[in-house]
Amino acid sequence: MSTGTTHGRHVLAEKTLPSAAAAGRTGTLTGLGTAARFILRRNWLRLAIWALVLASMIPIVFDSQQQAFPTQADRDAYAQVANTPAVAAMTGLPYAAGSLGGILVIKIWMTLAVALAFAVVFLITRNGRADEETGRTELLRSTALGRHAYSAANYLVSAGLCVVTGLMISLLCLSVNLPSNGSWVMGASIAGTGLAFVGLAAICGQLASTSRGANSLGVALIGLFYFIRAGADLQADGANPSALSWLSPIGWALNMRAFGEDNWWPLLALLALSAAGCLLALRLESTRDLGAGMLPERRGPAAAGKFTATTLGLTLRLQRSSLIGWFVGATVSGLFFGSVAQSMSSLLDPNNPFARNFVGTGHSMLDGVLGIFMLFNALLAGAFAIQCLGAARSEEESGRLEQQLAGSLSRSSWLGAHLAVAVLGSGLMLLLAGYLTGLSSQGSADPGQLAGACLAYWPAVLLMLGVQLLAFGYVPRFSTVLTWAVYGLSMMAAMFGGLFSLSDDVIRATPFGAIPRVPAEEFSWTPLAVLLLLSLVFAAAGMARFSRRDVLAD
Amino acid sequence: MATTIPAIEVSGLHKNFGRTAALSGLDLRVESGQVAGFLGPNGAGKSTTIRILLGLLKADGGHARMLGADPWADAVALHRRVAYVPGEVNLWPNLTGGQAISILSKLHGQVDEQRRSQLLERFDLDPSKKARSYSKGNRQKVALVAALSSRAELLLLDEPTSGLDPLMEQVFTSCIREAADEGRSVLLSSHIFAEVEKLCDTVTIIRDGQTVEAGRLTDLRHLQRTQITVEVSTDPYELSAVAGIEDLKVSGAVASFSVDPAQLPAVLAALASHAPRNLVSAPPSLEDLFLRHYSDEARTPVTARGGELR
Repeated sequence: MSTGTTHGRHVLAEKTLPSAAAAGRTGTLTGLGTAARFILRRNWLRLAIWALVLASMIPIVFDSQQQAFPTQADRDAYAQVANTPAVAAMTGLPYAAGSLGGILVIKIWMTLAVALAFAVVFLITRNGRADEETGRTELLRSTALGRHAYSAANYLVSAGLCVVTGLMISLLCLSVNLPSNGSWVMGASIAGTGLAFVGLAAICGQLASTSRGANSLGVALIGLFYFIRAGADLQADGANPSALSWLSPIGWALNMRAFGEDNWWPLLALLALSAAGCLLALRLESTRDLGAGMLPERRGPAAAGKFTATTLGLTLRLQRSSLIGWFVGATVSGLFFGSVAQSMSSLLDPNNPFARNFVGTGHSMLDGVLGIFMLFNALLAGAFAIQCLGAARSEEESGRLEQQLAGSLSRSSWLGAHLAVAVLGSGLMLLLAGYLTGLSSQGSADPGQLAGACLAYWPAVLLMLGVQLLAFGYVPRFSTVLTWAVYGLSMMAAMFGGLFSLSDDVIRATPFGAIPRVPAEEFSWTPLAVLLLLSLVFAAAGMARFSRRDVLAD
Repeated sequence: MATTIPAIEVSGLHKNFGRTAALSGLDLRVESGQVAGFLGPNGAGKSTTIRILLGLLKADGGHARMLGADPWADAVALHRRVAYVPGEVNLWPNLTGGQAISILSKLHGQVDEQRRSQLLERFDLDPSKKARSYSKGNRQKVALVAALSSRAELLLLDEPTSGLDPLMEQVFTSCIREAADEGRSVLLSSHIFAEVEKLCDTVTIIRDGQTVEAGRLTDLRHLQRTQITVEVSTDPYELSAVAGIEDLKVSGAVASFSVDPAQLPAVLAALASHAPRNLVSAPPSLEDLFLRHYSDEARTPVTARGGELR
């Protein structure tokens, strides 16, 4: 421009004024929108999967329940027996069990509500404490982002997941022609549970100084409130909830009674807890340093004990919490299977094709149900074994294996220790789960026989470990994903093979399908011997390869 | 421990990762009781060499012996006599630093409890904290304490001081000197020239998986040019006529140039006639030595490309 430079400068100054003013705004929530968009971009797939998987359970479960209880007479018969202590403790106090909506609540409400609570805890930790721990938050906070913007955005995104999931659940309930009031309460009560845990998880993220600690605190709270609610529901008077259930937010949400009384007012309590939790968390955030927690980091021993310093001892020590978790899980599920076996078998219609696929034909319904429960126990033990041996690969990946092998530790004794924990642990878990299923079946099955029936799946579990070792030897980087893929396919074939119209011969050629389903089927050694031989061959090949290959840290 | 068997003896070592050659004919020799520096730019193959010596990677060709044994076949037996400190120490996040030290030093052979507590004190490390809360420097200290508290004959140190503060570097230096006094052999891979110059008897410089320079530090110095900066009373440009003076740079009355060690006496005699008011002579540092090899690498592709263009 040929006009005076003073004029040009003046225009420039005017133009920059608004942005200067924006930079001057120093609210603690400055940049909330940017932060929320950033979190959405990092998590959209995770969020979408949680919402879709949880919501899609509604039509799937509704369909299967409609098939299981096709007439009002079936549902009335179910309503007579639905309210057992086991059901009340596991899935919440049954009510309105004579309606399809009520049955849907019994079958899936608790699973969805608790799963959403887990999703929220993990998400808030992932975008909160975990980012802070790795130093990413520090980088973000050094920009023009308000002190609370990132945390508030994190809480908002998680709350958004709850609302969207709830909405999808309500709409899907409406789409299968369930009563509209109940459908909306169903979605709102599940979303409300999630929202309450947004508030609780937000506080956990401020208290603990590590992401692991924040997750553990959050999961412990879910467990605590789940068990308070379970205790309360065991004290219930018929279908009327006990006053104790008001001690747990999961109880508040359950007391909204979708498809029953359709109470809206407990939602207010859930929302209040959510808001109070988030506000308290933000308050705590402004009183502490970045990176610090409110709870002190626990100290530990200054030297390792004799046992921890051995190869096997270290393996056990590193997997201690995971081992405890898996065995508690196997105990709970074993007890649960036993306690519902009798009532489940008397409810199943032998002519229902869905039921036939699961329990098989010919023998008594009870034996069929116990047979499928043994398969469930075995699948659980299989997953445990794979995760347990997978720890070997994570040791290699993290570079910690290098430091150990640089000492006087041979590759075979290191891998042997990991393998021993997986092999013996899974065998023990099979025996335990089978025995407990029998023990809690109120005399309808012999615990010893079921422990044996369950242990018969050991060779199938060992084959999974054989595949894992083979992959670990030859393609270590893909060993985890490959093994889980083989496990997933074997599980699908054994559980749903009939539904996918796989022939019996094909199902029998898969690891878990090959094992005879005692007590429904005759026991036979042949499939066990074949599986055992295969797993030995795979394991030997994998271990031999490992002792000759490079150690690959990432 | 004055044996005639060298601590490390590597010749013509080859290692490929897929189609990339990490080592292509590397030579390395560490005599028993020596402290040997191991230098090279990032990706030159230092860590790969050390991993082969530890039997973690299998060499594709060449010859490697450590303490007279085969690093691959005799790995476990050898590791009782060797201690290793990696540059990037990964610890079990839910164990304490002290537990990790116990586990690692037990794997290195005999544990010396007294030495361990001395080292913890010298390195100022709190062993009862969970490894998760350790900084990089503190994780490095865990590996150092574990390695140094063992009675290993040979220490393999792969950039062991990364993340340590200057004070702790000093502690490390004195620990290595003590180890050398006890007759232990040390292979020290490092980027810190001052550290290598302070500690090492011999130096091996590698590039692109090959050895480009090796020998006693004093011998290597002799091959290098001395840098001289002098303030003269005469016209400094006259110095360009003196035989042996190269890379002359003049700024006012100050001239700086490099001299081949063989021609130093003649150059100094010539300088005297220019009535120097002030003279500074810098011996060639390891850094110069290293940077010469380092920058060669950067220059070569440029000229090659220029040649193609013409």
